[in-house]
Formats: sequence, structure tokens, C-alpha cells
Amino acid sequence: MAFTDLVFYVFAAISVFAGVRVISSRNPVHSALYLVLAFFTTSALWLLLEAEFLAITLVLVYVGAVMVLFLFVVMMLDINLVSLREGFARYLPVGIAVGGIIVIEMIMVLSARYGDMPKPAPHPASYSNTEELGGVLYTVYVYPFEIAAVILLVAIVAAITLTLRRRPGTKHQDPAKQVAVKREDRVRLVKVPSEPRQ
Amino acid sequence: MDMTPNMTLSENVLLSIVLAPLAGAIVAGLFSKAIGRAGAHWVTILGVLTSFLLSLTVFKALVFDGAAKFDATVYTWLVSEGVKFEVGFLVDKLTVLMMTVVTFVSLMVHIYTIGYMADDEHNWDEKSLAGKNSYQRFFSYISLFTFSMLMLVMANNFMQLFFGWEAVGVVSYLLIGFWSTRETAIYANLKAFLVNRVGDFGFLLGIAAVLMSFNSLNYAEVFAAAPRMADATFQVFPGVDWSLLSVIGILLFVGAMGKSAQMPLHVWLPDSMEGPTPISALIHAATMVTAGIFMVARMSPIYELSETALSVVLVIGALTAFFTGLLGLVQHDIKRVVAYSTLSQLGYMTVALGASAYSAAIFHLMTHAFFKALLFLAAGSVIIAMHHEQDMRKMGGLKKYMPITYWTSLLGSLALIGFPGFSGFFSKDGIIEAVHHSHIAGSSLAYFSVTAGVFITALYSFRMFFLVFHGQERMDEHTRHHLHETPAVVTVPLMLLAIPSVILGFFTVGPVLFGDYFGDAIYVAAAHDGLAVMGEHFHGAFGFILHGMMGLPFWLASAGVFTAWFIYMKRPDIADVFQDKLSVVHRILENKYGFDDFNQKVFGDGSRGLGGLLWQVGDVKVIDGAAVNGSARLVGWFSTVVRHIQTGYLYHYAFAMIIGLLVLLSWVVVPGFVR
Amino acid sequence: MTPDVAEFAPLAAEIFVLAMACFILVLDAYLPDTRRLIAFRLTQVTLLGAAVLTWMQYDTMIGTTDRMVLLGGTYVADTLSMVLKLAVYAVSAGVFLYSRDYLRDRGILKGEYFVLGLFGVLGMMVMISAHNMLSVYLGLELLSLSMYTMVAFQRQNGVASEAAMKYFVLGAIASGMLLYGISMIYGASGSLDLAAIGRYVAEHGAEDRILAFGVVFIVAGLAFKLGNAPFHMWVPDIYNGAPTSVTLFIGAAPKIAAFAMVMRVLVEGLGGLHADWTPMLIILAVGSLAVGNVIAIAQTNIKRMLAYSTISHMGFVVLGILAANKVGYSGAMFYAITYALTSAGGFGLLVLLSRAGFEAEKLDDLKGLNDRNPWLAFLMLLLMFSMAGVPPTVGFYAKLSVLQAVVSADMVWLAAVAVFFSIIGAFYYIRVVKVMYFDKPEDEAPIFAGFDAKAVLSVNGLAVLALGVYPSGLMAWCAKALG
Repeated sequence: MAFTDLVFYVFAAISVFAGVRVISSRNPVHSALYLVLAFFTTSALWLLLEAEFLAITLVLVYVGAVMVLFLFVVMMLDINLVSLREGFARYLPVGIAVGGIIVIEMIMVLSARYGDMPKPAPHPASYSNTEELGGVLYTVYVYPFEIAAVILLVAIVAAITLTLRRRPGTKHQDPAKQVAVKREDRVRLVKVPSEPRQ
Repeated sequence: MDMTPNMTLSENVLLSIVLAPLAGAIVAGLFSKAIGRAGAHWVTILGVLTSFLLSLTVFKALVFDGAAKFDATVYTWLVSEGVKFEVGFLVDKLTVLMMTVVTFVSLMVHIYTIGYMADDEHNWDEKSLAGKNSYQRFFSYISLFTFSMLMLVMANNFMQLFFGWEAVGVVSYLLIGFWSTRETAIYANLKAFLVNRVGDFGFLLGIAAVLMSFNSLNYAEVFAAAPRMADATFQVFPGVDWSLLSVIGILLFVGAMGKSAQMPLHVWLPDSMEGPTPISALIHAATMVTAGIFMVARMSPIYELSETALSVVLVIGALTAFFTGLLGLVQHDIKRVVAYSTLSQLGYMTVALGASAYSAAIFHLMTHAFFKALLFLAAGSVIIAMHHEQDMRKMGGLKKYMPITYWTSLLGSLALIGFPGFSGFFSKDGIIEAVHHSHIAGSSLAYFSVTAGVFITALYSFRMFFLVFHGQERMDEHTRHHLHETPAVVTVPLMLLAIPSVILGFFTVGPVLFGDYFGDAIYVAAAHDGLAVMGEHFHGAFGFILHGMMGLPFWLASAGVFTAWFIYMKRPDIADVFQDKLSVVHRILENKYGFDDFNQKVFGDGSRGLGGLLWQVGDVKVIDGAAVNGSARLVGWFSTVVRHIQTGYLYHYAFAMIIGLLVLLSWVVVPGFVR
Repeated sequence: MTPDVAEFAPLAAEIFVLAMACFILVLDAYLPDTRRLIAFRLTQVTLLGAAVLTWMQYDTMIGTTDRMVLLGGTYVADTLSMVLKLAVYAVSAGVFLYSRDYLRDRGILKGEYFVLGLFGVLGMMVMISAHNMLSVYLGLELLSLSMYTMVAFQRQNGVASEAAMKYFVLGAIASGMLLYGISMIYGASGSLDLAAIGRYVAEHGAEDRILAFGVVFIVAGLAFKLGNAPFHMWVPDIYNGAPTSVTLFIGAAPKIAAFAMVMRVLVEGLGGLHADWTPMLIILAVGSLAVGNVIAIAQTNIKRMLAYSTISHMGFVVLGILAANKVGYSGAMFYAITYALTSAGGFGLLVLLSRAGFEAEKLDDLKGLNDRNPWLAFLMLLLMFSMAGVPPTVGFYAKLSVLQAVVSADMVWLAAVAVFFSIIGAFYYIRVVKVMYFDKPEDEAPIFAGFDAKAVLSVNGLAVLALGVYPSGLMAWCAKALG
């Protein structure tokens, strides 16, 4: 067993363990932190595959941005753990049974191909994963790339549409309106007949 | 005669003949509000006039210019296992004769209707919606009828024949029950429809037998193949061999019995007089009821191959001619007398068919169409004048009030009884002579019937004539005060119809009856051809008249007229004496031999009882209760149970997806892996 | 290989829709609330323009080539894409028109609604023209994201928000399954390009079980999008919870896109594995027919009922595909297009019957419709008969052509099952007709609907009849697209 194999198994084991803990942990903050752990180990696995760009992006985007936001949300919300875990024990046997069967079936199928999977050719020393990605991203995959951009745009539109709300009762000032106001808008001259002397 | 055999008939002309009345019917029927009353009668009359004029040109082309007959498909509706269902025309001299007669009578009736239906709103309840556009609707119906009848006679295949057959039946149903708020009218049209169903069932079986044995519906193909089938037999009941052509012939004739009102399926025709009089003239005297006669003549290549079928036709016709004539003697309703006379005359035509004298049958059909339409319209004219009173006991002495109606009626009656020189004489004498020459089974019975029938015909015709136009004026004072001749739209058709009633026979007897007018349109086997034997002794129409003056029928007819005069004019008390002395006979006749009671009791009540039983037990309990509602309840119950799977919980849904995935995996991948 | 700018020219329709969507988005920000209809009108113009551009694209292809594969094999233009795109435009345009008054009455006539709708249409176009697993997936996500948002559009509406949430989570699970399946296929074949996958499958499909394994997940993902049992659970809740105008949108054009996705992935890419996916689709089809038709009977909410009816109709579409022959594919295509049309009409009518403060969604709301508006009742009758498959409406012909394909593939029992469940299904369609024609109206309020919406609904309803009488035109296009 080469050294890289050892590294792979260690990180893979940690990753699986972290994944299990994400769903079995009692405290949601712990779950989130285990998810961070899972991301880290996965990015280590990508490094083993010489996919440096993806490994770094995973850590930067998911760990650095997404999970931090996620932790904020989890900590700010008062989540009732008891009600969340209700029925967990009841559904557990069925879940384990179904999951177990799927795992067994997957092993049956995937193990059959494991032996004859050819090893990829070793990359030359000058190989750069980032460069390779950049090379195809704007050429071969320009169309999916553009679509992905549109999806992000839709996500922005969606987020704004669903969250931006103008409450009718809020009190705020509009300086532009204040400046543009005319005398007629504010002052009304009323002609009042003078009261007759008593 | 200019012979140009290459001349052909135009398909477009034939299509126009058929479609012009249809177009009129559609416009008058669907746009009745928009075009109003005048619009409705103009558009339909224009349509029928077009048809009539074009029919005349076709007649001229075929008869005088020697054009070849037209036999072609216009439109193929569908092809099923090699059998074509088509719309096509077969126009030869037989067809064109019918076309001309139908369109001419129809045209007369259209014009006459303007007068007859002018005050139709009085016949309706004020609140009745059907009464709002009854005038337009009526014109639409009669035009539609003309279209249907033309489709029938011009067909070149059995499918179209059946279409026309049923279409005229439907329109007849609509028209008999035209005054749909009258219970008697509804009863009558239902009766007509049901009785015709019986006939049509036989007809349909006949067409099915043709299709089964010939594998074609086209006339030409069937007729060409018929001689090869002459000895074919088949078994309906095991062990009993029936001649195929006899079965086909008799089944088709059952259809003709329904439509042409032959005993015992004649019961609907007298009741159909509930319809407006123009209809009685057009449909129930001149055209539709002759469809059966025409059909048998058209099928002559089949009938000639089966003496059994011919005998059946002959005997049924003879019975009808004699017994329905007798019924005419006891009727009081003026239209019913004419109706029974129609039945009797249809019997004459059927007898002629049975005696293989097809051309005599068609000849009588033609002359009868004119004088019977005339008599009906004259009766209608009387009815208009009498303010829709139809009972002859309340008439009398109308001669001085209605001279035109009187004289045209006299001409029509003389034609009907076969007075020498009138058109009815030639056709009726031709039939009697042809039966005399026939040798098939039943011909002697038929000869007796048609000869005795002459006396009866004369008796009831002039009984009616004298009762209506002569003698005491028995109507009430109010009616008498308003009596006057009917307007020109009524009298002009009467006069126009009177002309052919008188002279047509004289000019056409030679070619139609004894000449080669029909050519190959009608086929008569040499052994049956009585007319040919008569033709050898035929020396012009005058000779025929002279010969007729010396024959038995003439003296019988004269005796009938005299008897009528004696009983109803000279000694009216004799009629009452007869009624007392022969009360049994009178009662039998009053009850119309009990056909109606029998039908009502046995078929009417019987089928209602059976239907009720099947409904209560079969339908309500077994089918509705167990099969329909039971299965529906089961599914409904299952559905309410299953819907609870849809809990609304997200994790249940997700879990269902995982289960689905598991099923797919286990169902497909694992077995595939093991294999 | 650097893509030439000229290679983008055939994508004119997609680019136009995208540009117009962005333009409307920006323009709408500067419009006062009273002039929101401008967004609506521009949307219709966009759809019309896209139709013209799509036709021009097809027109340039005629005579030179059957199909153009562009942009590194990620985009394809062929007869199939042309016909389906035109159908999507037509159905979407009708759908937007039906919804206009409904949205206005509820205060949600906003530019974003139409922008999201256009992005959804763009997603469908991408799916229809996809020639690469990535394009398929991204198109699907684009469409889904737009639809999630549209469902939640009425923010104050708790039911709609719940529906959107369910839709989003379940959709994410389905996308995960689809992606997992795609990654398996990629792992085995080494490519995302459908043509390359097709070649690999043709060579190694029989022995490489990883492909079949991937197909299971892909089928699961596709089944979710189509709404086939047992991946159907979202359909009733989302149809019911969403505003009717959104249900109308979801229920119509996306079915066409989902069909296209199935055709591209399963038939073009994984056609060599049909021995594997046919049994899976049989499960889906039978399950959908059974669940859809049986449960629909117990519904009193007509939107929910139509949701179950959708499930059963998608079962029919799957039936056509699983026959795995040309007759079946073109039959399924015909079914998908005509169903989208019928569904648009059905929900469109519900939208027209709704008004401010009143949602027509109970079966009882249709009571006595014939007395209130005989023409609308007649149109609904046509639509219901079409869904039930009563001749001469188009539903009959669509069912017939699918069943013919199933029979020709020697699966007579399956056709018998389909007919059996259709008979059960006929019950609840005819119940709608019964309620409309034979029950007394409870609600006598007059029906306000714009003339244009009524006119388009009439055309829609009559098209269902006309296509049933003359199906040969559309059928010929379907056959040509899959020939």
C-alpha cells in the first residue's frame, strides 16, 4: 500500500465519520461543525486527485462563506431540538433497513467494476489543474457556464422577490419628495366669512 | 330521335339536383328567424324548382337524346375489408322517371303549402316555442324530404339506398308529428316510426344478406353476380335449406311492406293523416310510400330469380289491395278515405310487381302520384274552406261554393277509379291484364282481388265525392257563411296536377307499358313476361281504351259509381239499413280488422311488460346495483383509503422517493446483475 | 477549440429571451405600479420574437442538415427542438394571458413574475436543446428555480409558502439523484456529451452494470420532474398550494420540457440501455396510472383533482416512451404537447372563473356553470372529454397512438391496464361535466374575463377538438421530429 493510499483511507474514514455525525449529533452547531470537517477532508481527497483548484474553492466558498452564514442562522434561531428529534427512534429501523439495502446493492454493482478500472496517466510536472479548468470553462463549456450565470441571476431575483417587502405602515422620510414639495401642496387658503358682530 | 350514345350526364348536374333542396332546407331550417316566412318559402321553392328543371333536362337527355345511363361513385366514404361504402348515382330511365315525379309533386306541394300553412299559428298554443317558426320549419322539412327521397331513388348502392330510406322515415316522423302539441299527432308519428322499424329491420337484414353473400353493396356488381347465386342456399336453422335469393328478396320486401304500407304493416298510414295535408299528399300518397315499389322494381334482377319471393309479393299486394279498399267504405274523415284508397292502390302496384309487371307498377306509381296528390290537395282545399273540419258528415253541397276544387276532384276521382281515357285507367287496366297473364302461385287470388277492387274503389271514391260536394249542406251556419273557393296558391297546383291526371296515361302508355322505355333498367325473365304477351295485342292508346270499354273492370267501376250514387244520393236511408243488417261486418271494418288492437295489446303492452321486467331486475338490480354502482363504490372506497398516503409531511414524501428509488434499484439492477 | 462568435448565431432565440428578460427586469424597476402591464406585453412580444427566431433557425437548416450540434456538443438544434420550443412558446403565451387579470386582482401583477416566467421558458429551451448532461441539468435547474420562486410569489399566502418549501426540498433531492446518476454515467463512459455516451453505451452497455446503476438514479430524477409515482408526492400539494396562475404555468409547458429531457437523456444518450429502463418505466407508468386515476376520484378540490390527473397523464407519456420505438416516441410527443394544451385550457378556465377575493378551486364552484356561461361550460366540457379520452377530442387520439405503440411493442397487458385505469379516470372528468350541466349554481356572480383571454381560451378549447378531428398535421411533425 502506497503512502497516498494510506492518506486516502484516513481522510475518507474521517469524512464518512463526519457525515454520520452531521445527522446524529444532538446539537445543530455541532452538526454544522462536523459538516465543515467533512468539507475539509473532502477537499483533501481532491488534492490527492491533483484537483487543487476545486479543493481550494471548496474550502473558500463552502467553509469560508456558506457554512459561516449557516452557523449564524443556526445560532440565531431558537430550534426546539426535542420536537425535531421526535420520531427519530421510530423511523430509525426503517431508515437503517432501507439505507442498508441500498448500500448493499451499490456495493454489489460498483465492486464488479473496481478491479478493471484503468489508472489515469500521470500528469507532467508542468500540469496545472487551474489552467486546465480555465482552458475548457470558456471554450468547450461556455454554454453551460453562461447558463450557470443565468441561474445565479435568477437566484438573486428570487431572493429579492421573496424577501424584499415594503411595509405600508413604516415611517420614513423621502428627501426628494420633501425638496420637491410646492406651496399648493401644503397650504390651503380658506375663505371664512367674517362673523357678524353680535 | 337523335341518337348520340356518347353523350353523358354531368355529375355536377346530378349533384345539384340532390343538393339544391338540401341547401334550401338548411337555410330555411337554421336561419328561419333571419329570412322570415317569405324568405323560407322562396328559398325552398327555388331549391325544388332547380331540382325539377334539372331533372327535366336529365329526362330529356336520357329519353330523347339517348344519353347513356349514369352509374358512378361520387364520394367514397370508407373502405372496410374491400367493401366500399360510397355515395354514388345510378341514373337511368327508371330513376329519372322517379326524379321527375318526385320533384314535380314536391314543387306543387311547396306552392300549395304557402296557402295551407298561411294561418298555421292558430294551430299552436300561444306559449309554445315550437309554434314560433313553424312555418319556416315546415318548409325546411319538406325540402329535406325531397333531398332524402332523391338520394333514395338516385342511389347506386345499398348503403345510400338505406340512407335515403331512413332519412325519408325520419322526415316523415317529424312531419306526422308536426303539430307536436296534439297528443294524437304524437301517437301517430310514434306508431309510424315503430311500424317502420319492423319493416326496416327486415330491410337491414336483407342488405346484410346481400353484403354477406355478394361482398359488395353496389347495385351493378350485385346484379351481375345474382344469376350465379340463383341456386345458392343457406341455412338459418340447421337442416333447413333456404334459397338465398328468396330470402334476400323477401327480407327486402319486408322493408318495402313497412314503407309502402302493405298488410300487415299498413297500420301506420291512416294514422299518419294527423300530419298537415300537404304532407299527406307529398309523402303519404305520391312519393315516400312508393319507395318500396320503386325498390322492388330496381331489384328486379334479384326478384326475377326467385318465384317464391314474387309469390309472396303478389299475395301480400292482393290482400292489401282488396281489404284496405273495403275499409275506405266506412271512414268519415275525408283524409282517411283518401288514405285507405292510397293503401289499396299501393296494393295494386305491389300486385303488379309480384306479377313481374314492373313497368306496370311504375306506370301506376307515376299516374297515381299525380291523381292521388291531386285528391289529397283537393281534400286539403276542402279542409281549408271548412276551417279544418275533416268529418264528411258535416259537409255536403260544396259544389257551388268551390267550383275549381269540385271539378279537379271529379277528374282525380275518375282517374282513380280508372275511367277509360284517364291516366289511372291505363295503368290499372295494365295491372289487371298483367295479373291475368301471370301464372305464378297466388295469381288467381290476385286477379280476383284486383278485379273486385275496381268496384270497391269506385264505390268509396264516389261515396266521398257525393258526400262532400253534393246533397244537403250539413255544416253549421258560421262555416257556411264563410265558405268560398280557396286562394290561387291552392287552386293552381290542383289544376296543374289535374292535367297529368287526365292525359298523362294516354301519351305514355305505349312506350312505358309496352314499349322499351325502361330498356335494361328493369329486367324481366322471359317466362314471367306477361306484358310482352299483352304488347302483341296492343295497337295504340285508342285501341286500348276501346278494349277497356268492353272489359269487366269498366262495368265494375260503373257499377261502383252507380251504387254510390244510389246509396248516398238517391236513398240515404239504405246506408243505415246496411249498417244495421251487416252490423258484424261493419264492426269488423270499423275496427280495421283488429290490427290496431292486436298490435296495441300484444306488441305494445307485451314489450312494455318485458321492458319493465328487464329494467327492474336486469338493469336496476344486476347491472346498476351490482356491476356499476358496486364497482364504483369499491373504487371510491379504495380511493378514500389510498389518499391518506398523501399526508402532507415533507419527510414522508422524501421517504416515498427513497422507497421508489429502492424499488427501481432492486427491480432492475440486481436481477440484471445476477443475470 | 475556441468557439467562434458565429457559432452563437443559431442561438438567437435563447439570447433574445435572455436579453429581453434582463431588459424587462431593469425596465420594470423604473415603472410605476399602474403600468405593470408593460411587462406583460413585452413578455408576449418576447415569446413571439422567440418563435420567429426559432423558426428562422430551423428554416436555415432545411435542406442542408437534419441537426446542428454546436458549442462543443452542448447544444443541438433539430426538428424535435423546433416543434417542442414552438409548443412551449404558444402554451406559455396563452398561460400568461390567462393569468393577467388573476394576478392584477391579487396585487401580484409584478414585473418579476414575468421575468421569472421568461427565465423558466429559457430553462425549458435549454432543456429541449440540450446535448450534454450539463446542459440538461442546468436547464432543469434554471426552470426549477424559477418555478420554486413563482410558487412562493404570494408571500402572505401560507399554503403557497409551504408548497414552495416542499417543492424546493423535494426538487433538491431529485436533483441530487439526477446528478448522482449523471456522475455514475460520467464515471463509466468518461464523457458528458450525449453522443459520446450513446457511443459508449452501444459498445459496452450490455456488460457495464454501472451504467444501469446510473440509469436508475437518472430515471428517478426524471420521474420526479414528470411527476410519476412514486415520485409524485409533490404534485398535488404544489398544484393545490400555488396560486392558480402558477399552477397553470407549472402544469402546462414544463411537461413538454420534461418530455424533451427524457427523450434527450434516455433515448439519445442511453437508448442502448432501453432493456434496463423499460422495466423501470413500466413501474412508473403503472404506478402513475393507478395512483393518479384512483386517488383523483376522492378529491373535492378541482386543482388537486387535476394534479392527480396530471400524474396519470404523465403515466401515459411514459407508456409511449417505454415502447422504445418510433411510434411510441412520436405518440408520447403528441401526448405531451396536446396534454400541455389541454391542461393550459383547464387551469386557464379556473383562473378566469376566479376573481378578487375568490378562488375557483372547489368542484362545487363549477356547479351550474352552464347556466352562468354556457360557452365556458362547453369549452370545459371539451377539455374534460379530451382528458378522459372521449372521441373526437384530441385526448382520444393521443391515448390511441400511445396504446398502439405499446401494443406494437408486444405489451398488450400493459395497454389493457392503461385502458382499465383510463375508464376509472373517466369518472371524475365526467363528474365535472355533470356538475357543470346538471347541478344548480350556488354562485350567481357574473364572470368577468377579458375578451382576449376568452378568445384565446376559445381557440384553446376548439383546438382540442380540431386536433382530435385532424390530428395528422401535428402527428406528422411529431413523426418527423423523431424520424
